[in-house]
Formats: sequence, structure tokens, C-alpha cells
Amino acid sequence: MNIDIRDLALLAPELALIVTALVFILAAAWVQSSSLFSGLTVLAALIAGVASYLLLPADPITGFGEMIVVDDYSQFFKVVIASALAVVTLLSVSQADDERFRPAEYHALLLLAATGMMFAASAIDLLTLYLGLELTTLCSYILVGISVEKPASNEAAIKYFLTGSFASALLLYGIALTYGVTGGATGFVAISRALSSSDAGSSYILLAAIGLLIGGLAFKVAAVPFHAWAPDAYTGASAPIAAFLATASKAAGLAALGRVCIVAFQSESGVLSVVLSALAGLSIIVGSVIALSQTDMKRLLAYSSIAHAGYALLGFIAGTTEGASATMTYAFLYVFMTLGAFGVVIALGERGGRLDGFQGLAAQRPGMAALMLLFLLSLTGIPPTAGFAAKFVVILSVVRAGNVTLAVVAVVCSVISAFVYLRVAVLMYMKEPTEPEPSRCPPAVSAALAVAALVTVIGGVLPGSLTSWAVAPDAVLTIMGVR
Amino acid sequence: MTDYPIITATTFLPLVGAVVVIVCGSDRLARWLALATTLATVAVSAPLYCSGYDWSFNKDSAALQFVDEYPNWIPAWDIAYRMGVDGISLPFIFLSVLLSVLCVSVSWTAVQTRVREFYAALLVAETAMIGLFAAGNLFLFFMFWELMVVPLFLLIGVWGGPGRVYAAVKFLLFTLAGSVLMLVGMIVLYDTFGTLEFDQLAGKSLSPATQTWLFVAFLAAFAVKVPMFPVHTWLPDAHTEAPTAGSVILAGILLKMGAYGFLRVSLPILPDGVQFFLTPMLVISAVAIVYGAYVTLAQTDVKRLIAYSSVSHMGFVTLGIFTLNTSGVEGAILQMINHGIISAALFLCVGMIYERTHTREIKDYGGVARTAPVYCTFLALFCLAAAGFPGLNSFVGEFLIISGAFKTQIWLGGMAIWGVVLGTIYVFWLFYRVAMGELNPGLEGLNLELNAREVLTLAPLALLAVCLGLYPECVLSYLHVPVEKLLSAGATP
Repeated sequence: MNIDIRDLALLAPELALIVTALVFILAAAWVQSSSLFSGLTVLAALIAGVASYLLLPADPITGFGEMIVVDDYSQFFKVVIASALAVVTLLSVSQADDERFRPAEYHALLLLAATGMMFAASAIDLLTLYLGLELTTLCSYILVGISVEKPASNEAAIKYFLTGSFASALLLYGIALTYGVTGGATGFVAISRALSSSDAGSSYILLAAIGLLIGGLAFKVAAVPFHAWAPDAYTGASAPIAAFLATASKAAGLAALGRVCIVAFQSESGVLSVVLSALAGLSIIVGSVIALSQTDMKRLLAYSSIAHAGYALLGFIAGTTEGASATMTYAFLYVFMTLGAFGVVIALGERGGRLDGFQGLAAQRPGMAALMLLFLLSLTGIPPTAGFAAKFVVILSVVRAGNVTLAVVAVVCSVISAFVYLRVAVLMYMKEPTEPEPSRCPPAVSAALAVAALVTVIGGVLPGSLTSWAVAPDAVLTIMGVR
Repeated sequence: MTDYPIITATTFLPLVGAVVVIVCGSDRLARWLALATTLATVAVSAPLYCSGYDWSFNKDSAALQFVDEYPNWIPAWDIAYRMGVDGISLPFIFLSVLLSVLCVSVSWTAVQTRVREFYAALLVAETAMIGLFAAGNLFLFFMFWELMVVPLFLLIGVWGGPGRVYAAVKFLLFTLAGSVLMLVGMIVLYDTFGTLEFDQLAGKSLSPATQTWLFVAFLAAFAVKVPMFPVHTWLPDAHTEAPTAGSVILAGILLKMGAYGFLRVSLPILPDGVQFFLTPMLVISAVAIVYGAYVTLAQTDVKRLIAYSSVSHMGFVTLGIFTLNTSGVEGAILQMINHGIISAALFLCVGMIYERTHTREIKDYGGVARTAPVYCTFLALFCLAAAGFPGLNSFVGEFLIISGAFKTQIWLGGMAIWGVVLGTIYVFWLFYRVAMGELNPGLEGLNLELNAREVLTLAPLALLAVCLGLYPECVLSYLHVPVEKLLSAGATP
């Protein structure tokens, strides 16, 4: 393996985040200003995002002896992750004063978690993938439990940690079996080459390996039946962290899953299609139905995010380049509308955490209610919002895959989830307020909401405009001469 | 043709107005701004209705005219922004812009809470209505179709009657449940042909089995909107609980969207699907006519009565469409316009008197003609029109539909005539109970007579009812060529 130090340039976005995180940890002893840390975090996220976009290569470039790859796919997800990091940091501003945690650590952990996600998006080797995801989850465990004085937060962190470790073990076991069945390959290209040249496809060990890998990754995107941690973790965590888990973390999981399915195991697309259809269908049904009975907003959004994970997975079922870019589009737009919905929850403070806290909001805060309505319509998938464009591409890719039944299941469940979101809209617009007006939200939160709203509107009015560069990850196979 | 993009301007001017209304500071200003916007929309769209000039609408062409096109709207999916009008959509655009003005006017004093939001929702609905009828491809059609639901959900749920929340949620869930299947249908069409332009889709061939499934998917959306029996149950709740302006838009325009969808999508694109389901469609149309009429007879609430009468009247429309002959289809389109005028007018009449009496129960009325002669003159005119009185607009539409039905099946014509007889009974019985006899003691001391604003609101519709009755050709002349094209290319009875 030949490692060239110049490959570091490929990791410029990650380096920006890591350096900032390390500086924070060193500075923690002297500086306590939370606004300074948030400002710098946003700056680092913006630098990482812009760097990711500028580093967009014409052809995939691998680095560090085929451990990472920089291509359209990785850079797309890095931009998504960096934007989510920036928005979540802005949303954290009001929480930093309430919850007594140290700002330096909080922001350093956010940065490191995002770094791990970016590594996962760039990974082209199961080991890099595992390391990236582990970095993310380790930071996430702490972030969920960072409000040390709140028992709910601690409980959520422990639940998340236990189930998360189990999922990591699944993933690792899957890696080990893949290593065995392919005769010592961990790199995606090598796996693909080994599987297409041998008769390993018929082996039960390979099926087990695929099952374990997909299971471990499905945990990261919170797809049913690997979803049980999400509602508890979201509810116990502070709202910005819940938003971070629901968006950036999910996007990274999708990025990893997409690359594993479409690059490493492209020869097994028949099996993958069945497994992914089941995961997607179950997630959509369970997420939509259970969300009906929720009264806690973070829990409601958790189940909604489970359903949305299912919709996003629809793109991967076809196992095609088009399908993968449909999922990428979905992930991009989903991240912003979900951040928006969480943003309103955060902006309303204590009221935002409860479903009935939204009662009569339109009379007290017409602007905030209108924003929430926009995000809810987008989550439902009603045009002209981004959610419709997102739904259109994934359903199109399922139909192309020949699975019209699943498409019908997906749209019927979107009516069920419409009822979920509708309850919030009904409370906001059609009931009289019973609680005092919520206090004004800080400018940082307003800025975050404005960004989310802008993307939600533009993504809906000019569908495809923001995500025209969503390109699937399999170009690397052509470059490396596998096909 | 003309110097500015008429269709785009007409469609989006109300949306701009909605934004202005929301940001303006005062409720009083909001009313005037909304009125100005709707009137400006009428003015902007005026060139569409002219005829005889080289730039005006050409009745001899079935093609989309006044086309505004922007091919690079969604380059990723190769979907263009394409809007225009043909002879079928033009009357609906006229009806939409006209009814919007009347809706602003009738809400002038009736709406006193959250006025700015009310007018903004109304104007967004106007954009959705016009856009839907002007859409040149299925994608835009779907976008406006869904966009329409949101402002109406708010209009019903925020400014409606006591049962408004239930009615609003029911309305939204019913329409959404239908339209998601249309989404799948649209995606299957897009996947098969790579285009969603109406004129390109019309020429493509699809296997009969696929067409059958697609017909069902689109039927789910259109049948809910029309509404056809048995998915009409949202309608009485929504119409009854909505504020007057909401009822006017629901009855006047929204119900026409479903029938318009049959004409735009099902007939030209899915002829074999239509063929397969022809008999069931005719049967449920006939059932809707008669069943709707009987249920109407049993109503004790004025708004509910008019709402159920819409089920019966829209049964005539779908019956006409699925006779698949010229007189049936032309009659159906004419009857959609007629019903848009009459039911809107009746809801306006009810809304105006409700503002004074705050009751919708028929038994609380009686003898209104004694104190409000002008009001009752209008009411009588619209009731006569609703009953299909010769010389008024519905007569022509119903006549054409019934003659079309007789050409198809004798018993269909018989059912339709039975529906007309029942319609005459419930309309006159309503008028008798409201306007005739001794003045109901509960109404004493109330000033029930219309004021100038209300007379001006009803007058255009009265004028239209008479004009279309005496000279239906002013609408029918637009329909001949496009309907002929529709029927020659599509399914045969």
C-alpha cells in the first residue's frame, strides 16, 4: 500500500473540521464564550462545505491506497453534512444557555461527529467506513447525554449506546464475513471484483455478510426494524442534537449504505433489492402509523424521520445510478425540511416540545406558524415544496425498478403521515391559543429557519435545481477497470 | 399574439397579490388590495376572451393557444413549464377569475377575523384554479391540483362554521388520498413515455391492461373531486362548514377540476381504460343524479341542501362526459360552467342572508320575499336556473346531456329526466319555504334586503345565467373544435 502525503489535500473539508475541533479542545481551558465557539463552528462548517464543493473532481480520485475516494457522490453528501452542521450549530445557540454544558466540548463533539460522517461518505473501504461511522456514533452518544443533569438525557444516551454498540458489532461481523468470503478483500472495488469473478454469490456466508452489513447500516439511518433507538434518543437529547441525528447522521448512513450496495455488492443487486424493499416498506408503514399517536414533538418527528428513511431507501432498490441519485436528492431536501421543522420546535422553547404547545400559534405568531406549515407540507410531500420533488424522484425510481406495489404503499402511507402533520396544522391554525406567547427566538435560530425555508421553497418551485449534481457512486468502478 | 405573457400573468398575479396582502399592515387595506388584485386579474386576462382579431383566441383550432413556454424549467427531468388555453379550458379560466372577484366582495363584511390571512388564502386558491386550467402538462396540472387543497383546507378550517375542523380534515384527507394515486399514475406515464405534455401523451399508445390500471389511479383523484358517488361524503361537510367564499370556490371551481381531469387526461390519454369502465361510470353517474336528488330533498339545512344538489348536478356532468358523443360532452362542459354560475350564486345568496340571520335551518326562514323583494328576485332567478327552466342556462346544458344520454342508452336518459324532475321539486320547495308565506316571526326586525355591494356581487352571475340561457353558443362555439378532436382521437361509445 502506497500512501502519499499529498492525498491529505483530498481531505481538506475533514481537516478543516478536525483542526477546529482540536483548537476548541485546547482552548477550552481559557475560553468559555459560547457564541465564539458557535461562530467558529459555523465558519468551519461553511469552509468544509465550500471546500467539498470546490474539490468536485471530474473523475473519482482515490487516496491513501484506495481507502477513500473523492467523487461527486462523496462531495454531495459532504455538502449536505456540512450544511446540516452549520444549521444545527445555529439552532444550538438558544440551548447553550439553558443546558449547562461546556460550549467548547459541545462544539468540538459536533465537529468530530461531522468529520466521521464525511469520512463515511468518502469511504471506499469497509475499514474506513467503519472508522468513520464509529467516530460519529461515539460523539453522538456523548452529545445525546451531554445534559448531564437531566436523567432523561442520560437514559437516552445509555439506550442509544447499548443498541448502537450492538449495531456496530453487526457491522463489524459483516465486514469480517465479507473479508472471508471474498478471500481477503475490504476495499469496495476489490470486493466487487472478487464477487463478479467468482461463484461466491451463491454462498450463504455472503448472504449473511450482506445481511449483517445492511443491518448495521440500517441502524444508522434508523430504518425499521433497526429503528427502536431513535424515538428515545431524540426525545432525551436536546432538540438540536435530535435534529443533528435526524439529518446529518441519517444522510451519512444513507451515503455509506448507497456505496456499499451500489459499488461493493453491485453483483448482488437482486438480493439487495429484496432486503432494501423490505426495509423501506416497513419503515414507511411503521413510521407513518406510529407517528399518529405521538404527543411529543420530538418523538413525532422521530417517527416521521423513520418513515422518511424508508422513502429515501426507495431510491436504492433499483440498484441503478438513477436510483442512487434519487436517494441523494431525497436526502438533500429531507435534511433541510427536517431541520426547519426542528428549528420551529426549538424556536418555540418549552412549548415547541409538546404537540399541544402548537395550539393557536397562528394567532400569536403568524410567521412562525406559516414556516411550520411550509415544513409540514414539505414533509407530507405536497407541491410546490421540496418534499414533493423529493417524493417524485424516489417514487419514479421505484416504478422504474418495476415495483409499482411498493410505490402505491409509499403514497398511501404518505396520506397517513399527512394526517400526522395535519394535526399540528389544525392545532396551529384552527384552535384558540391557551398559553402565553412564546418569547422571541434569537437571530441565529431565525437565520437557520430562513436557510431551511429557502431551500424548501426553491427545491419545490425549481425541482432538481439544487440537486442537479447528485451523481451516483459507481463511476469509481469504471475508473478502476472493474467494468 | 400580445406583448405580455397573458397566461403566466393571469395565473401568478393573484399569488403576488397574496404576498402583498400578507405583508400590508391593515385589514382595511387588505380588502381593497385583494379586490384590486382580483379585478386586475380580470383585466390582465381580458385579451383571452376577445375574438375576431388576428391576435385573439382562434376558435377553429384545437391546439393550445397563448402558450407561455420555458423549456428549461426542470432540465434534470426534461419537464417544461408550458401553459396555455384551448376552447375547453378558456371558459373555466373566465369563471375562476370572475368568481374570485365575487368571493372577495361577498367576504367584505362577513370575514372579520384574521382578514389578511383570509384574503391571502383566497388569492392563492385563485392562482391554483387558473393554473390548473391553464396547465399544458400533467406535471403542472398536478402541482396546481395539490396547491389548491392547502388554501381551501385553511379557508374551511379557520373561517368556517362550528364543525369546521372535522370538515377541513375530512376534505384534505379525501382529496389527498385520491391525488396520491394520481401521482403514481403520473409517474408511470412519465416512466413509460418520458414526457408529461398533454398533446404528446394523447398520441401515444399504451397496452389496454396498463390503461385500465392508470384509469383507476386517475379515477381515484378525479372521482373524489367531482365528487362521484360513493366518494362524495366529504362534500356536504366541506360545503356546509366553509365560509361563503369557500363554498363558492368549492362548488364553482373545485368540483369542476375532477371533471376537467377526465377531459384532459382520461379521455385523450387512456381511451381503452375509458372503454373498459364505460358502463360502471355511466351507472354511478346515473345513481349520483337520482340518489343525490333524493338526499337533497331530505335536507333541512340550506347550505347542505345546495351541497347535495351539487352531487346530483355533477352526476349530470359525468354522465355527459361518458356518453362520449358530441352533444353529451359539450353539454357536460357547458353544464360545468352553468353549475359553477348557479351553485356559486346560490351559495352567495345563502351567505348573504346568513350574515344577517345566523341560521342555516330552512325552518327558521319563511316569507323573506315580504321584506326583501330584491333578494328574492335574485333567489328566484337562480332557483329557476338550477331547475333547468327554459331560457336560463342550465336548460341548454341538461338538454344536451340528456339527448346525449338517450343516444347511448334509453334508460340513462330516463334516469336523467327523473333527476331533473326531482331537481325541480327540491329547488322550488326550497324557494317556497324560504321566500313565500308569512314572515317567520324570528326574522322580524331584521333588515334582510341586499345592499348595493351585494347586488353588484350577484348581478354578473344573474346576467350570465340569462345570457347563456338565451345564447349558449357563446360558450359552445369554443367547444366544437376541441371536443370534436377529443372524441375523434379517443374512445368510442
